[in-house]
Amino acid sequence: MRVRPVVAVANREVRTLLRNRALSAVVGVFAVVVIGLGGASMGSPGGYVSLTYDLLLPVELLVPVLAFAVAFQSIRGDDERGTLSILRTYSVSRPEYVLGVFVGRALPAFVAVVAALAAAGVVASLGAPETSSFLATHSAGDTPLVYARFVLLAGWYTLATVAFVLAGSALARTDREALAAGIGAVVVVAFVADLALVALLTTGFVGDLIGVLVGLAPASAFRGLVLELVIRPAIATDPGVATAHPVVSAFGLAGWTVIALAAAAAAVWRPVER
Amino acid sequence: MSEPVLGFEDAAFSFGDVTILDDASVALESGTFVALVGPNGSGKTTALELFAGLRPLDAGTVTRPATDGRTVAYLPQSPRFRPGFTVREVVQFYGSLVAEAVDADAILARVGLSAAADRRVDELSGGMARLLGLAQALIGDPPVVVLDEPTSGLDPDIADHIFETAATMAAGDRLVLTTSHDLEAVSRYADRVLLIANGEFVLDGSPAALLEQAGEARLRDVFSAAVAGTGRDAVDVDVSADGGGE
Repeated sequence: MRVRPVVAVANREVRTLLRNRALSAVVGVFAVVVIGLGGASMGSPGGYVSLTYDLLLPVELLVPVLAFAVAFQSIRGDDERGTLSILRTYSVSRPEYVLGVFVGRALPAFVAVVAALAAAGVVASLGAPETSSFLATHSAGDTPLVYARFVLLAGWYTLATVAFVLAGSALARTDREALAAGIGAVVVVAFVADLALVALLTTGFVGDLIGVLVGLAPASAFRGLVLELVIRPAIATDPGVATAHPVVSAFGLAGWTVIALAAAAAAVWRPVER
Repeated sequence: MSEPVLGFEDAAFSFGDVTILDDASVALESGTFVALVGPNGSGKTTALELFAGLRPLDAGTVTRPATDGRTVAYLPQSPRFRPGFTVREVVQFYGSLVAEAVDADAILARVGLSAAADRRVDELSGGMARLLGLAQALIGDPPVVVLDEPTSGLDPDIADHIFETAATMAAGDRLVLTTSHDLEAVSRYADRVLLIANGEFVLDGSPAALLEQAGEARLRDVFSAAVAGTGRDAVDVDVSADGGGE
């Protein structure tokens, strides 16, 4: 793997995103929703823990939608325009191309999500009284640092969902397939995996394994990490029951990212002996 | 005769029941402008993709240049470069993928696109987009350039300009292989013509040699005699005497 082609492709992807007005509008809507929720929490006695709770579900659902807008046309678009065939005549390998597209698409999305959530945190802390819980009045430490953990985990979740959508874009052979694969990735990440867990729970065979199983689906892994690493340390009374296994969830989120990128690299084109 | 830089030996390729190459062999030398012609559906584009290394052969071998760097440049039939970028930015992007430094303005000058360097690619005419494709094909100085119908749908003036540019690209030590249905332009500009039909290269020679061999005055007549209506066989023509109207 060489850095030069990865950087070249990533640079082109970043500039593509920055010049896409429709995408800017999607990012703007995401920011307005998230910052609006932050505004609704302005001065709330619940502090950053409350804000994190308020934002958890919207972020879980909206980040895949943002990832879809950012990445569903990326690889498929190159193929449809004929420029993927041109690129293949340069010495760019499949992993280099896919990684370049991922970096160039996921990093701006990461920055947009982190910036919007950071702004929401700032807005929520405005107007708080001097002794507000926003300034770590909880005995367990409801501090901006705790909220920063949530923001970074949301950024990580963004990377994983962009990788998912990218894999769909690489696997698709037509524009319609790319659209369907992108929407499918969003639905799977945001809903289906959770529904599968609920279905498993109803069988009664899961038992104590639920903490591990939630780490195996992207959205629930993100949720588990937030509950265990952001909420639990910040609240005064420990609920006593683990909602997720943080290590499994961390490996789950990272694993989905790697698997999705590997699938994209395998599917993007069929290798030909030179 | 110099060593071939591009070729097939006993090459076979098919899409299911549709045979594109059936034990076909051909050898192409550098410094020549070769036109690959044939009926619709005869597999010209697929043959180019096989030459360019975009598809693997089912059987047989393909010869490509054994040099480092970019060996075969490819231009698809109707490339649409990523919108929002200027012509110069497109050349700079592809230039960033090769090891050597690329002077984007110099490359654009070689294909006659200097005046459009700052124009966005989505504002280019069809002919200018093809010229940008030719400029892209020069990046990395590849010894072989493969062009898929670079003049289809263009007016005669711009088509001539593209053929002249492609012929100039082959004037050095480079092989330029193009597909085309414009047999008049092919007879004027190409050094060598290959006719593909039924999985084989059924004609191979300079335009003058093919005309002499067939005793015809136009390459179009040589083409028609050689394919003997195979192009029409591929189309299900069933028009009633009244033109098919109600």
